[in-house]
Amino acid sequence: MKKILVVEDDMPIRNLYKEELIDEGYDVVTAPDGVAGYELFRKEKPDLITIDIKMPNMNGLELLDKIRKEDKSVPIIIYSAYGEFTQNFSTWAADEYLVKSSDLTEFKNRVRELLFRK
Amino acid sequence: MSADDQIKNYQDLLRQYNILNQISRTVSSTLDLNKILRIILTGVTFGDGFGFNRAFLFLIDREEKNLIGRMAIGPSSNEEAWMVWGEIQQSSFSLEEYLNSEKFDNQNRASALDDEIKKMRIPLIKGKELFLCMEDGTPRNVNLETGSNVWDDTLQITDPSRIEPGLLGYLDYPKFCIIPLISRTKKVGTLIVDNKFNHREITKADIDFLSMLGQFAASSIRNTLIYNDLKDSLEALAKLNSKLEFLKEYNEKIIESIPVSIIVLDHDFKVTLCNSNSEKLMGRTKEYLIGKKIKKGLVSLDEQDLYDEAERVMQDKRAEGFYKTTVTFGGKKSNEIYDIMLVPFKFSAETPEGVVVSIENMTKTVKLEQSLSEAKRLSELGRLSATVAHEIRNPLIAIGGYVNRVKKKYTETGQVNEENLNIIINEVARLEKIVNEILDYAAERRVEHSEINIGKVLQEVISLAQAAAEQKNVDIVIECGSDSISTREIIMNGNADNLKQAFLNVFNNAIEASETRDQVKICVQLEEDEDGKYITVRVNNRTLLSSEEEVYNIFLPFYTTKSRGSGLGLTITKRIIEQHSGKIDVVSNIDIGTTFTIKLPLVRF
Repeated sequence: MKKILVVEDDMPIRNLYKEELIDEGYDVVTAPDGVAGYELFRKEKPDLITIDIKMPNMNGLELLDKIRKEDKSVPIIIYSAYGEFTQNFSTWAADEYLVKSSDLTEFKNRVRELLFRK
Repeated sequence: MSADDQIKNYQDLLRQYNILNQISRTVSSTLDLNKILRIILTGVTFGDGFGFNRAFLFLIDREEKNLIGRMAIGPSSNEEAWMVWGEIQQSSFSLEEYLNSEKFDNQNRASALDDEIKKMRIPLIKGKELFLCMEDGTPRNVNLETGSNVWDDTLQITDPSRIEPGLLGYLDYPKFCIIPLISRTKKVGTLIVDNKFNHREITKADIDFLSMLGQFAASSIRNTLIYNDLKDSLEALAKLNSKLEFLKEYNEKIIESIPVSIIVLDHDFKVTLCNSNSEKLMGRTKEYLIGKKIKKGLVSLDEQDLYDEAERVMQDKRAEGFYKTTVTFGGKKSNEIYDIMLVPFKFSAETPEGVVVSIENMTKTVKLEQSLSEAKRLSELGRLSATVAHEIRNPLIAIGGYVNRVKKKYTETGQVNEENLNIIINEVARLEKIVNEILDYAAERRVEHSEINIGKVLQEVISLAQAAAEQKNVDIVIECGSDSISTREIIMNGNADNLKQAFLNVFNNAIEASETRDQVKICVQLEEDEDGKYITVRVNNRTLLSSEEEVYNIFLPFYTTKSRGSGLGLTITKRIIEQHSGKIDVVSNIDIGTTFTIKLPLVRF
C-alpha cells in the first residue's frame, strides 16, 4: 500500500484530504506544519507528499527545498490559493502544482498518475 | 568839481553801465557756469573796461564754511601782462564783440593763475574779513601797504591778520578788493580783484561798479547753479521714472501671467485694478469692471458676503483667507471651488485702506484630492476583500469537499436527496469562483508581454464563448472581420492568457445579458492612422443596460446589477486592456442595444 504524507495547516482540509485518500486505498500520515512535515518525511518515508504553500513556521516552499535536498525523486504536489506562485522559480522542484478546490477529482487523478507512472 | 571833471565822471559812469550791459547780455546767452564765470572775469579785466589786472572768483561750498577757488583771469607775470595789453591795443574789439568772438571761445590756454586757484580752499573763519564780508554783504578794500588813501564809504582793512590765511600767500599783493557775491540772501561766493602789475589805485567808483557787477554776477551764477541742479535732478528723475515704468510693466506682467484672478478694491469698494484672469472669471472686460462698486449682497463666499468680509479686512488691517469655497455672484452659485484671499492694501500713505482680492480656482485640485481618496478607499476595499477572500477560501473547500463525501456515501442508499446536495455543491463552486476572482483582482500580477497573434486569441475566445452560449441557446455571430482573424497575422505586444480572460469576461457578460435565441454580434476591424495601427473589437447584444448609472459604473470593482457574481469581471477586463495600452468603453441605447468597444494598439497586421 502506498503511503502519502499530507502537510496542511488547516484542520478540516487536512482531514478531508486524509479521508479522501484513504477511500482511494492509500495509507495516509498528516502534519500540521513544515517542521512536523519534515520530521514525518524522514520517519515515514512516504511514496508521495502533498504540501500546502502557505503555512506557519516553515512555509511550503522551504519544506519543498529541504526535502529535495535529501530526496530528488519522491513525487511532490504543492498546492495553494488561486493565482499565487504560479510562475515562481521555486515551484519547479515540485512535480505538480494545483489550485485548492472543493472538487478533489483532479487532485486524486494526479496522485494516481504520479504514484503509478514509474 | 569842475565841469570837465563832472563830464569825465559821467563819461566814466556811462562806460561802466555800457560794460555792465555788455556783460549782462553775453551772460544771459548761456547757461554754462564756466562760460558765465569767464565772461564776468573777462569783463572785469578787459583792457578797455575796468581793466583790473587780475580777477579771482571763489564759490562758497554747500556747507557755507569754505570758499572754493573756481576761476582766475590775469597774467602770471609782468611780461605776460605787457603781452596781453599789447594784443588788446592792436585789436579794436568792444567787450561784447570780444566776448562773442571765436577768440574768446577758444581761450583754452591754461593759465598758471587759473590752475593755482582751482587748488584753493579757504576756510571762512568767524571774525575774519572774508567771513564777515559774506555775512554783511559789504565790499572790503584791503590795503596792507601803509600810508594809502582812505575812503569813507568803503571798508578799509589794513591789518593782515584780519584776512583768512592762505589768501594772502596766493594773491601775493597787498592791495586788493573783496566783493561779496550774494543773491538775495543766499551766499554764492566772492570776487577778488587787484592791480598787481600797473599798481593802479582802486577807486570808490571802481568799488561801486564792482558791487553792481557783484550783485549781477551773484544772481547769474546762482541761477545757473540752480538751473544745473534742476537739470541733474530732472535727469535723475527721468531715469527713476523709466525704472519705475519698467517695474510697473514687470509687475503687471507678473500679475497678468499668474493663474489667479486679482481684483483691487479701494476704500469705497470700487474696482481700481484687475488682471486678465479676473476678466475671465467675471465674464466682463477690464474696462467694464474698473470703476464698478461691489455692493452688499452682490457676491458671497459660501454664506458670507464679500462686502462684509472686505470691510472687516480693511478695518482690522488683517488678511483673511477663504479656502475651498463656492462663489455666488449675482444670485448664481458657481460650480467651481475657489481659494480666496483678502489682503488689506494701501496704495500710498495718504490713501485709506483698500483690499486686494485674489481668487484661485481650486476645482481641479479638489477633484484630484477626491479621486485620490477614492482611489485609496478602493485600494483599501480591494485589500480588505482579498483578506476576506483568503479567510473564506479554506472553509469553502472544506464544506464542498465534505458535501461531496456525504453525497458519495449516502445517495446510493437513498438516505439523502442527491439534488439538494448538488445544489450545495454548485453554490460552493460558485463561491469559490468569486473568491478566485477577488484574489485575482487584488493580486496585481506583473505581466510578461511578448509578441502575440491577437487574431488567434480572439478565435480561441470565440470558440470558448460559443460553448457557453450554446448552453443558453444564444448565437454568437461574427459580423465582420471573420477573415482577418482567421487568415491574417495580427501581431501586438501582450500576454495571451490575460487578453483571453479580458475578452472572455466581455463575452460572458454579453451572453448572460442575452435571452434565448438572441444573438451576440462580434465585429473586428483593423485600422491605421498617423498614430499607429489598431484593432477594434465590438461585442454587441440586444438588451440594454439597466440604467444610465450602470453605464458609468459598470467597470467599477464590485459593481453588479446581477443577483450573483463578484462584479469584478469587467473591472479585471478594463485593467488588462489598459495594461496593453488599449481602451474599452460601453454604449447602451435603444437603437443598438449594448455594445462594448475594445481598441488595442498593434505592431503590425
